[in-house]
Amino acid sequence: MPSGTARVVFYTGKGGVGKTTTAAATAAHAAARGARTLVLSADPAHSLGDVLAVPLGAEPRPVAPQLDAIEVDARAEMERHWGSIRDYLVALFRHQGIEEVVADELALLPGAEEMASLLALEEHAGSGRYELIVVDCAPTGSTLRLVTLPEVASRTLRLVLRVQRALAAVVTPIARALVPVPLPGSEVFRDADRLLYGRLAAIRALLLGPATSVRLVVTPERMVIDEAVRAHMDLCLFEVACDAVVMNRLLPPEAAAESFFEDWGRVQEERCAEVAELFAPLPLLRAPLARDEVVRVAALAEHGARLFAGAAPTARLCQASRLRFARARDGWRVDVPLPHARGAALDVAKLDDALLIRAGALRRAVPLPRKLARLSLASAKLEAGLLVVRLVAPEPTG
Amino acid sequence: MRVILLTGKGGVGKTTLAAATAVGAAARGHRVFLLSTDPAHSLGDSFARPIGARPVEVAANVVAQEVSVLDEIDRAWSEIQAWLAQLLREGTDEIVAEELLVVPGLEELVSLRAVREVEALGEFDVCVVDCAPTGATLRMLRFPDALAVFMERFFDLKRRIARRVRPLLEGVGLRGLVPGDEVFAAFERLYRDVDDVRQILLDAERTSARLVTNAARVVVDETRRSFAYLCLYGVATDAVLVNRLLPEPARAGWFARWAEREREELAALEAAFPVPLLRAPLRPTELRGVEALRALADEVYGERDPAAVLHRGRPLRLRRVGGATLLEIDLPNVSKEEIEVAVHGGDLLVHVRDALRRIALPASLAGRGVAAASLRGGVLEVRFE
Repeated sequence: MPSGTARVVFYTGKGGVGKTTTAAATAAHAAARGARTLVLSADPAHSLGDVLAVPLGAEPRPVAPQLDAIEVDARAEMERHWGSIRDYLVALFRHQGIEEVVADELALLPGAEEMASLLALEEHAGSGRYELIVVDCAPTGSTLRLVTLPEVASRTLRLVLRVQRALAAVVTPIARALVPVPLPGSEVFRDADRLLYGRLAAIRALLLGPATSVRLVVTPERMVIDEAVRAHMDLCLFEVACDAVVMNRLLPPEAAAESFFEDWGRVQEERCAEVAELFAPLPLLRAPLARDEVVRVAALAEHGARLFAGAAPTARLCQASRLRFARARDGWRVDVPLPHARGAALDVAKLDDALLIRAGALRRAVPLPRKLARLSLASAKLEAGLLVVRLVAPEPTG
Repeated sequence: MRVILLTGKGGVGKTTLAAATAVGAAARGHRVFLLSTDPAHSLGDSFARPIGARPVEVAANVVAQEVSVLDEIDRAWSEIQAWLAQLLREGTDEIVAEELLVVPGLEELVSLRAVREVEALGEFDVCVVDCAPTGATLRMLRFPDALAVFMERFFDLKRRIARRVRPLLEGVGLRGLVPGDEVFAAFERLYRDVDDVRQILLDAERTSARLVTNAARVVVDETRRSFAYLCLYGVATDAVLVNRLLPEPARAGWFARWAEREREELAALEAAFPVPLLRAPLRPTELRGVEALRALADEVYGERDPAAVLHRGRPLRLRRVGGATLLEIDLPNVSKEEIEVAVHGGDLLVHVRDALRRIALPASLAGRGVAAASLRGGVLEVRFE
């Protein structure tokens, strides 16, 4: 691992599947194996402190040898990172008869929480203090917002800056006369530039780089699996790498043998097989339900050891090809890895916003991004475990 | 029309209990509308049939709908969207623009506009809402405050600037980047809509929140915080629903230790919440279908009418004691160190951990300082000068 940059692992999934426990267990296990580790909660409804049974704050706090933990606080991060941009906004508001307190409210604005988490992540990843950073994300939808924020924010900011620069350069003298508002000085642009080309670019490189991957957490429940399939598609669309699926809350055989849980045991085996197929080639890590609740570092480390069963928690668990969306000349190309598929009897159809795939005994539905749902299927070809589908704009009718 | 919101940490079983509440209320003769605002809709799974963005009858006297946030936003604020999309379009991908123009907090409020529309129909006695997980619900409650700040301070200013600089920017070819009047009008509509929704949320006679939880420590911890936040934002909670309790046959054997934990957490829950605690058992299989939902409602609500106000109490009260005015806010399970209080212009600002509430003070109190603030038995008392 190159010195200075930490390995970053995100855990995401539907609410209540056990993301926080899995993230904390991964971190505790990695720390016990000797990696300098930080576990970071990016879910505004933090429960990391509850799981570790230690009160946490906006600064890393040691919770065990080699292990620190932090709950990101949007308010605190805004204060630290926004420098003179914030001062400008405060000055702007103050001019309207509003005092400092409004700056706090900036932390309520859209994207502020995600931005705060990313700034904290980037800072700690580059600090050289950690070899591994485990991120406990908010439920699925917010994770997508989190990982795509640098891209969206830099575009937006670039445009806002263009307008502001135009205002400053062209109309400041006139505008000053018309509206009694302080216009940004050059130091604000300098800060914005630093943020835009420095921090945002660095964060984006970190998220898409080889040291970062996302692990999807599921339980053997239909709705949970469906949501993870969609999240996986979204992450692939944004070229964020996934390297494993964690199947949580599996009843151990002794418990599944009890008559009350009979059906449960049978259903969970079916679901495990289904998940392995749906997310192939990602490996499936199995986490059995414990006899008692998994809280505090010792129990978490033990849970982590069971989960990884000898594999290194810091490793990138899958390097193989992945679901990929790419713009083509006349539409889009979708690559679907089907390592278990045999060429016999391939059948691909598009139904509204999903691709329905049948290859021999294998059946799979791949959800499509909203924009691609409007295209029509042009061709599908299976080559060496990879299905290549081409989608094109439909012929104009009438 | 009565409005019942079911919220709680992800995965506790909100949807199932919302569906059961709706079916149970209908069994008592109420005409019920069941609305899902969780972007990860799962109502359809409870009724074992597809439910979409159009209302459909799913049981006798129960009409259900899953609100599509993207469609709602398209419908209501296409002007704002068009402008933002234009801002983002330069050299970018429309997929990104479209999917990410959903602002956190706004999402849930947009969905709650649907509650107003149900009310306007005049055909329903009760609207049961299956909300997004707690984090998102709290964002929704904070959103009106953030929007108010934006509208009052920033927005008028922006509009004034926009009016004056638009002609200038046209000269330098940047016209599209300054919002036109129709965008501002759309923002104003948004603000009014949000305010209407807020009025519904704060009406304790009409609206109750029910917190769904499990008897596991991490979930209980979060439920406690959520309860305090709901109080802070002035939403009345009338019950806590404890879901997935181990049934008798499963309490011995392999789950014995879990059963013991459960007893401890139930005792903690009873001590922590001044509202009725209702219980629902764990089922051996996923619960689906109207009959199963009705049986669950009977088990949870017993003799109670699921549509009734199960606990009366206003989380925010103004009282006069002697010559002084006292503002009381219920803040159970919060310690003194976690609270900050300040007066700012016409507003009282209350910070609880990372949550901030601006409470607009009545004119008689505006401009007066806080003489004393104290936390007694889970109630924050603010005494004005």
